[in-house]
This record gives sequence, C-alpha cells and structure tokens, in this order.
Amino acid sequence: MPLDTSTTYPLTRLRLDGRRWNELRLLQAQISTNPASSGSSYLSMGNTSIMCSVHGPAEGRRGDSGAAGSGHAVVEVDVNVAGFAGVDRKRRAGGSDRQSTRIGTIIRSTFQSHLHTYLYPHSTISIHISVLSADGSLLAAAINACTLALVDAGIPMPGLLCGCTAGMSGSASTPRDPRHDELDPLLDLSLPEEQELPSLTVATTTAVPVGENNMDDDEEAMKVCVLTMESKVHATYLETMLAVGIDGCSQIRELLEGVIKGSRG
Amino acid sequence: MKSLRRDLSANPQAANVTSKVFVRSTKSGKVQKIVRELYLREDIPCSSKLCSQCPTIAPADANGKIAPFILSDRPAGTTAFPRGHYIVPDTNALLNGMDLFEHTGAFYDVIVLQTVLEELRNRSIPLYNRLLALVKSDEKRFYLFFNEFRRETHVRRGPEETINDRNDRAVRMVATWYSSHLQQSAKKGKKEKAIPAIVVITDDKENLRKCKEENVAALSLSDYVSGLEGSEMLLDMISESKDARDAKETTRGEFFYPEYFTMSKLTTGLRAGTLHQGVFNVSPYNYLEASVKTAAFDKPLLILGRDNSNRAIAGDSVVVEVLPQDQWKSPSTKIVDEEAVTRNDNPDTEETDAVVTDRERKALQEEVKKAHGKNSDGKPQPTAKVVGVIKRSWRQYVGHVDSNSTGSQASGRRQQNVFLLPMDKRIPKIRVRTRQASDILGQRILVTIDSWDRDSRYPTGHFIRSLGELETKGAETEALLLEYDVQYKPFPKSVLDCLPSEGHNWKVPVSKEDKGWTGRKDLRDLLICSIDPPGCQDIDDALHARLLPNGNFEVGVHIADVSHFVKPNNPMDLEASIRGTTVYLVDKRIDMLPHLLGTDICSLKPYVERYAFSVQWEMTPDAEIVSSNFSKSVIRSREAFSYEQAQLRIDDKSQQDELTESMRTLLKFSKVLRQKRMDAGALNLASPEVRIESEGDEVGDPLTDVKTKAMLDTNSLVEEFMLLANITVASKVYESFPQTALLRRHATPPPQNFEDLQKQLSKKRDMELDVSSSRALADSLDRCIDPKNPFFNTLVRILATRCMTSAEYFCAGAFGESEFRHYGLASPIYTHFTSPIRRYADLMVHRQLASAIGYEGEDGHAVIEGVSTRNKLEDICRNINVRHRNAQHAGRASIEYYVGQALKARGEKMAADGVDAGIEEEGYVMRVFENGVVIFVPRFGIEGVVRLEDFVLPGESGARSVAERRELAPHRTTEFDSEEYTLCVEEKGHPEKERSVTVELFQKVRVNVSSVKEEGRGAGKRRVRILVTEA
Repeated sequence: MPLDTSTTYPLTRLRLDGRRWNELRLLQAQISTNPASSGSSYLSMGNTSIMCSVHGPAEGRRGDSGAAGSGHAVVEVDVNVAGFAGVDRKRRAGGSDRQSTRIGTIIRSTFQSHLHTYLYPHSTISIHISVLSADGSLLAAAINACTLALVDAGIPMPGLLCGCTAGMSGSASTPRDPRHDELDPLLDLSLPEEQELPSLTVATTTAVPVGENNMDDDEEAMKVCVLTMESKVHATYLETMLAVGIDGCSQIRELLEGVIKGSRG
Repeated sequence: MKSLRRDLSANPQAANVTSKVFVRSTKSGKVQKIVRELYLREDIPCSSKLCSQCPTIAPADANGKIAPFILSDRPAGTTAFPRGHYIVPDTNALLNGMDLFEHTGAFYDVIVLQTVLEELRNRSIPLYNRLLALVKSDEKRFYLFFNEFRRETHVRRGPEETINDRNDRAVRMVATWYSSHLQQSAKKGKKEKAIPAIVVITDDKENLRKCKEENVAALSLSDYVSGLEGSEMLLDMISESKDARDAKETTRGEFFYPEYFTMSKLTTGLRAGTLHQGVFNVSPYNYLEASVKTAAFDKPLLILGRDNSNRAIAGDSVVVEVLPQDQWKSPSTKIVDEEAVTRNDNPDTEETDAVVTDRERKALQEEVKKAHGKNSDGKPQPTAKVVGVIKRSWRQYVGHVDSNSTGSQASGRRQQNVFLLPMDKRIPKIRVRTRQASDILGQRILVTIDSWDRDSRYPTGHFIRSLGELETKGAETEALLLEYDVQYKPFPKSVLDCLPSEGHNWKVPVSKEDKGWTGRKDLRDLLICSIDPPGCQDIDDALHARLLPNGNFEVGVHIADVSHFVKPNNPMDLEASIRGTTVYLVDKRIDMLPHLLGTDICSLKPYVERYAFSVQWEMTPDAEIVSSNFSKSVIRSREAFSYEQAQLRIDDKSQQDELTESMRTLLKFSKVLRQKRMDAGALNLASPEVRIESEGDEVGDPLTDVKTKAMLDTNSLVEEFMLLANITVASKVYESFPQTALLRRHATPPPQNFEDLQKQLSKKRDMELDVSSSRALADSLDRCIDPKNPFFNTLVRILATRCMTSAEYFCAGAFGESEFRHYGLASPIYTHFTSPIRRYADLMVHRQLASAIGYEGEDGHAVIEGVSTRNKLEDICRNINVRHRNAQHAGRASIEYYVGQALKARGEKMAADGVDAGIEEEGYVMRVFENGVVIFVPRFGIEGVVRLEDFVLPGESGARSVAERRELAPHRTTEFDSEEYTLCVEEKGHPEKERSVTVELFQKVRVNVSSVKEEGRGAGKRRVRILVTEA
C-alpha cells in the first residue's frame, strides 16, 4: 500500500501522487460532446471524470407552480454516480445516494442564483450530471463541468463559475501555534487525500468585463459563490485554506476559458 | 458524437502524468483494483551539498521555505570507497539491519528511497516508524528521495517482472542516476577529486549480480559492515533470522513446536467460541506456567509447559485452545527457575530431540500428580495450549550473557552462539550469535528478539548495544529505564524551543492590563502555603483556608497552571504525552516536562508570584461543602513546608499567626473529610513501600537511609484536600464533557480474585473477609488483627491490594456512568487534577476544566484546547495507563536495587572486619510453595523467595557461602501441605522433629538478610538472600 500524506508530506513536500502543494491535477475538458442536448461537456480532473448535459431552457412543466410562477427559469439537477465510478463496484445503479443528492442540491441552488434565470420565465433548465469515475473533488469537478455545459447551451451568466478544493495537512483540529507558524495547505485533493485530511470546496466567479470595464479590476469583481466544508478544521486554518482554494479557482478559470475558446476555433 | 478518450498529445503537461495500478484485497476478502495518478517531475532535489544544479530547482513549500540539503559534501569513506560514499539500502538491508542504521558510529549519508520506504511499510510498521524517526533526525543525514516521482528514476513494471525485481531495478536506477547526476553537477573545483560513490546495500544475490552487470557499486550488508571500523560489534547487530534460516533449511527439518493455526482458522475458531484470545501472562515464580485471561472463563486459563505455550512470550496476545478435561490441573505450588533447570543447554546444538527435556518433564510431572491426587480443595483449573499468536509484544530486552554458554575459546573472534539471560524472569533465554562473546561477558547488554522458529528451542535475537559493566550504577539505571520503557533521553531541541523565551527570569506580568492576566483572579493576598515531602522541587499544589464573614470557611487548593505553558500539539506537549509521567528513581528523576517548567516556572515556589488553577470551596464549620468554584489565578505562596515542618508548626502552641491558624483549620477539616470518606467505605490499603532518604553521607551505614514511610497528620491533610479537589473537578468536567472527560476509575474487583486469600485467612486465622462491597471489605480488613503480631494487619492489606484490579484512566464515553466508580476511594467519580507537572492526565484535565469554565486564555484559544476527539483521548489514556504502571515498577525496582547495593556495601564493610553475617530482621511468610516460601521483610520493603537450601535447620551454622548452601538443596526434602499452607523442611534421612523447620503462611520468622552476587538470571542485581533462621 502506498504511503499516506500525513506522515511523508512534511518530509518531502510531495503529495501522494507526486504533486506539490499548489498544483492542480491534470484538467482536461471538451464541450459539445453530446449533440442531442442543448449543451454538453466532458471534464476530467485527474481521475475524476464527469459528463454533463443541459436541456433547455424548455417550457416549464404544468403544476410546477412554485418557482415557475415567479418569472424565473427553474434549474433542475440530476446527479448519477455510475456504479463503476468508485473503487468498489456498486450493484444498485441509478438510485440516488446521499452524496449525489448533496451534490445535486448544492449545484441546483448555486446555478439557480448564478444564471440569469429572469430571462427565461416559466421555463426549466435541466442539468444532468454523470460521474464516470470519482477520485476526489467531485463537487468541484461537477461545478466546472456544469459551467462548461451551460456555456455550450448558451445560457447567459455573469461569468464562469469555477470550483476547486483545498485542504490542510497536519493536525488541523487544534489551533495553530503562533510560534510555529507553518501551514501546509494543499490544492485540489484526490480521493485518498480527501479521506485523510480536512478539506473545503470553494467556487468563485468573475464577472466578464462588459463595456468600459477594464480587464485590470479582475480581483475586485471576483465573487465566492459556493463554500462548503464537511470536515472539521480549526477556525485559524480556514483563511489559508480559502485563499489557496480561491487561487486554484482562478487557475481553473483560465483552463476553462482555454477550453471554450479552443472549441470555437 | 466525439470520442471522449483522453487525448494526451494535445497537452504538453500530460506527458508527465502516468498512473500506478495496483491490486489490494480488503479485510472482507474483496479484491480492489486501485488506479492512482503519478505526476513525474524534475524538481526533486538530490539533496547533496555537492550539487550545484539542484539548489536552483528546489521548490519552496507553502511557507516559501526550501528544505535544506542534507547529504554531506564530505561523506565518510571506507577502505573500499576512499573518496566517500552515499549509501542506498534496499528493503532487505533495512529489515535485517535497522539497528545498524540507527548506530551512531557508522551509516551516515543514507539515501532512503520512496520505493524502499513503501515496501518497508508493508513489511513492518515498527521498522517503518523507526526509519521515519531516522529521517526526521538531523544528525544521521538520512535523505528521503522520492524516486518514483522523479522523471529520470521512475520505473515502470515490465509485463513479466515480479514486484521485487521491479523494486530492485528502481534501486539500481537511482544509484545510476545519482552517480551521473553528481558527476555532472558537482561544484567546480571539487570535481574528479571527491565525488562520492553511490553504494547500494542489498542482501539479494540476484540484485547484487545485476548491480555488477550494470556497473553499480553494491555490497551485501555484512560485506559492507566488514569494511568498517569496529566491525565485530556491528556485525552482531545484523538481524539473526535471515542467516539462520538459510543455514537451517539445509541442515534440519525437525521441529520442536507444533505449527500455529492459519489466520482464517483462528478467526473462525474465535468466532465460533472454540478458541479464546488473551494476553499471555507468565508466572513470576514458575517460568513453565502461564495464564491467559479470557472473556469466556472466570478464572484465567492455565498454560503449562513449553510445548503448550508454543513459543509465546510474556505479553504476547495469543489464541488458545482449551485442553480436554482430563488434562486439567491446578496451578503450580512450586518455584521453578529456568536457569536452574536448563543450566546445561548448549546454545550451538539442539541435541535433545524433544522440546521438553527430561528435567523439565520431571518438574512438570509432579504437577500432574498433584492435580489427580486427593486434593479436593485445589480443584483442577482448565488448561489450554497456544495455537496462534495474534500480536507479538516483543521489545528490546536487557540482560547479560550466560557465562556457561560461551565456548572455551572465548578469546577468538569466531562467531558463536551464546545465551542471553534477560533480567525479566518471565522471558526465556535468547540465543544470540556474536563475534565478541569475550567482550560482552559480564556486561549489561540490550538485545532484541528476531524470530522464534518451530525448529528452535529458544528464540533467536541479536545484540544491539552494551550498557556497561554489570552492577555499575550507570548501566543498571539505564537497564532499568530500558526494561520499563521509560523515555530518558534528554529533551530534543524542538521541545526546548517551546519553553518561554524568558527562561528562569519569567515572571507574572506586573501590569494587570497584560494579556497574561485575562480571565485570572488575583489571589495574591491569600495566605497560601505548600506542604510536600522534604527536598521537593516540583511543587504542584498549595493550600489555604480562611474564615468568611458569615461564619463559614473558604478553603482553596491551588494547582500549578501547567496548561498555560504547554500548548496542545506542540512538540513539548507531544513529548509529554509520550512520557506520560515523571519517573522517580532513588537517585534520579526522569521529568515529564523540561526542568525549567517543572522546577521553576510552574512550580508553586514560595515568596514568588505564580500562575495557578484554583479550586475553592465554601465550607461550613462541619466541613459540609456549600459551594465550589474554579478559576485560573495568580497566587503567592507564603511558605513551602515539608511534612515534618508543617506538623511541628501546627503542634507548636506558641505559633499563633494567621498562616499557622489556617493550617490548623485545614487539618481539622481534613480529619472530618477523612472520616466521611472512611464511612463511605474507602479502603485503607497498604503497599510495601519504603523511602530512601540519602543525606549523601558516605560514611554512615547506608541502610539507615532506608525508611518505611511515616504517615504524619500533615500527609493526610494534603491527601484529603487533593482527593476532594480531584473529585470536585471530575464532576465538573464530566458535566461539561459527558463523552470526552478524562476520568480515573478503579473497577470493583471480581470476588473470585479474593478466593485464595479468603481461604487462607479462614484456614489459618479463622478470619472472614467480606468482599461484597468496599465498605464491607474495609470493615473486615479492620477486623483482621492478630494481637501478637501487629504487622499482620498490614500484611493482609498488602495481600488484599494484590487481589484488586489496578485503577485506570479512561474517557467518559467508554463506560457507563455506573462503571465510573473508584472502588478504593469509594467515590462515584474521580480524576487526576492535582499534579500536572508530573502527570500528563492532570494536564489534560486542566485543559478540559479550563474550557468547562469558559476560560479564554491569552489568545482566546483555551476554550477549544480542552476539546479533543474521543479516539485521540482513548489513545492517550491507553498510553498513560501503561506509562503510569511502568513508572511505578521502575521506581520499585530502583528501590530494590538500592537496598541490594546498601546491603552489599554493608556486607563489604563487615567483611573487612572479618564477619559477613547479614542483618537479622523480622519477616513474614507471604506464600508457601512446595519447595520454598516467599518472605516479606517490612524493614526493607522487599520480598524474596527462600529456597530449600536457605532454611537454616536447627543445629546448623548459618554462616555458609552461597555455593555451599546450594550443595545442600539435593539433600533436603519437604513435606508440603497445600491445605494447611505449611511447609516442613528437613534433611533427607533425618525426619526427627528437632532437626526440621516448619513454616506456615502468615507466620512471623526471623530472617537473615544479606546481599549476594546472584548468578544466572539476576546477575548483577544483587539478589537479596534471605535465610530463615528461626521459625
């Protein structure tokens, strides 16, 4: 069995898979992979790979009066983790488990507020996410895949929404000692790291400059849209983790922009 | 639809990503295929100070720091590699020679490969941890090179290649890369001259051959060591098992011991209830008898004889199978020492064909007779045999070489087998191969057990190091510390760095605005004093009492505020949690916390201001508690008394000052509290303890320093208030942390533990011991009085104490509330709070109490400091329980050693005057065996085994040497009555009453105590010889 991060990382500053602390995994993506949908994408971050397709905006279903009546489009999300995605094959295919429900809920509420839904009253935008293989940072990868698919579908949004995870190695459950002020944050966790270390998922967006706005006030326009953490970490570490995560998001944003521009040409 | 397959050609980075695929099977038997990515890189430095390239590419970590380069630019050379060399060991080399790598004389500049580290972790976790410790320490210059992540040294497993071959290839690849890398990048000027050789160390013949083919310098571990200075000693440190196995495969196919069951057979057996698991516990009186306590049986299962114990060693966690009922026996009534029975075994040959030699069989035979004899009272107990070992608890053992086992030509450098006799009587002899038998003879040495194969009567082990001459103070003290696993090395720098920078000049801040005062009460006005044993430097506690305007009293216990200085999870805290407790030896104290804290900054010294954690009660004049309150505080102790001084001051009627008055109040209260506790059923237990008070005067009789502990009123004054504080704090902490409070419990002992003692008492003294509750026990103990023998009561208390379970720390969530009870103190809940300087548990409780009362601390962190997960807390509890017990044992062993030495010094002095008569003392019979008795001598707090030869029969001179006495043993016979607990010793053929001695249990006897140089097992320990002179 390979070594774990917590014992060897302090000695070599190399993570389980040979990355440094601030390196993303290899991110590859394509859009318009499924011509039958309004927009689609395929994205892999390391060994996590996700297929996403968007249908709509389409006419809202009848009886779905709750949000439909408010003059906004309704975002629906369906997450399916394939039975072969993890290490152990799951027999029960299709059914939703806690993890996929959670991802679905977060993505739904995120994009419900992120997209310019007021442009499509009484309609539905449905997003379908298929996780083909899961190797950590699932939520972040799903957010990125959705962003690409929504861009492909041509649904307007203020800017690309990019997600990323950040973790903290070492004993993060106790306060940091001001005299030994050494923090070991890690960017973009893989599955073994996620199981071992506390981590958070953050997604940011930067509004695309419109009109006279220049490119240089990038930083100010940046907005954190999603911030979620399920593990326990002492509050003193949070700031560093968040900073590293946000930095990762902007790296991912450049990569996604490259994917979008590349597919156009 | 587009192809979704990864298109690697488009992305330039993708070329560096590869993946590692491996298959593992889970506990439930599932097979999992794991795919991991590997990012290959070129910025992993070689870490040699010679290199000029790597410093430019070495990456910075998240704090912008670059790891310093480790490997020396002038590595040590050997005859084979005069220009210096870096060592690249493979996994086998580390498995066989970890002790060598830890040796300080050689093995510097080692490159540890990731491949090797991973393989080692799979093979042996303890070795892996030791290797990591080496990598972390600076002085040995071990560099962990992650070769699998470096592009040049990454090796892909070939289609037909075994994993071992692949790993070996990876090692060779690194060696090749290192040499060419250093050639290219060595700093100019040094080129050609001093590029160190890269030496692969491997014990794999195939690998050695391939190294030769590929032009990589490679040596086997023993060849490499032979080329070093002092190679004899180093060679002995190579693990024995591998060599021996090679040799044996060819020579012998004969087995002494039955094979262990397979793991799956064991687990099914355990689940089905046909097999039982427990810890293998060897009897201290009979090395052939062991017991295993299992959940299924009330009484422990007996394991008799070598073939039944099947290579299990004391402390191992074993699986046993119960033997058929006709083989059940009663426990032994005989003292059997290993060295007496197997004195003549030859370590080089396994001449006898059976595992049980005739002499051993004879020793056991008598047991069988007994079991089937008339004896109805000693019902046979279930016996069992070991069929598997779940977990070995082998450690390093201290012992000495059996001089009988060394060959006649001991002077030669030839390698030979010798027996090592461990100090611990329960551990069998260990066979050790050595080239330096003549040098290590007569020394205390440290060895470790490597293996115990079926074809070997004794376990094999290897030499680690010598501690020094037998019986020298340094060697014996170190031996003691090693044997009880006490961490005695000086504190490392990382720990000392955690101390306050002001050092001894640290003071409580003058200004109350200072953050140090946040949340602290100013109690400097109170008349506080401390009462401790004389010469105490680490003062944990101080007390005060004063009259309140409403007629009640305010009583305060103030404890050193250690948690203020020791923050969680810094190196100092981790070190303290490992040490667990301060260990007190006769002439040495092994501190849990660095000196500066323990004896100065934390210690509640008189006349200076100190931080404290205070517990204050309002009490009515009848010592009823009205309210209690906890606070961090600042105090100024007015005086530090010793128990005697305090007693004198209280008794001195002329002293009428406020401080003395407050001490009188405290004393008055303590008596009330004590009475209340006794009424609730607290036990007044006794332990055979003596104190050594050395005034350092060399001239006097050293034996006068040995004092039995005197109990003054002031001792119990302090004790009562500490108990009260502990109990009060325990309830408060439990209230706030129902799951994670650190508490201490003393389980109610199961009644069957007392069965033997009850039987003995009713038989010999017609006394009853009621064990139905602690109250009943306390009362019945009070009634066990022999008017003619004032010590009898204490003796019974000592024996009763041994029947009980020991108290333990636990985490509140681990037991139901009803199980929290402290049996001995008759308190429903208890913890340790009052000695944070010397116990880690107290420090944890301080943190918990601080957060329970919402103390925020200097930086607002204190609230969460106390909160810890239950898992972590349970680990801590487990460790401190072990440490606590070891510390007690080490302390006792130290006193025993001191008494032995004092007797020896006295003996030598007397010998100068021409007589070596020993000391006449009173002793009490504690246990009766068939061939000896155990006698307790209260004057020195020692108990010793008295064998047949050490009975002085009437009409015989007591003054005989040890050797002469040993000759007597075969001429004596005994009559042993196991129901009456009597033993009658007589000379063979002389059954006359006048010429025999009869002793019985609890009897008071006159004994002659002297110290003799013990041979065999306890050599160097100065066995205290007890001669029974008068029954």
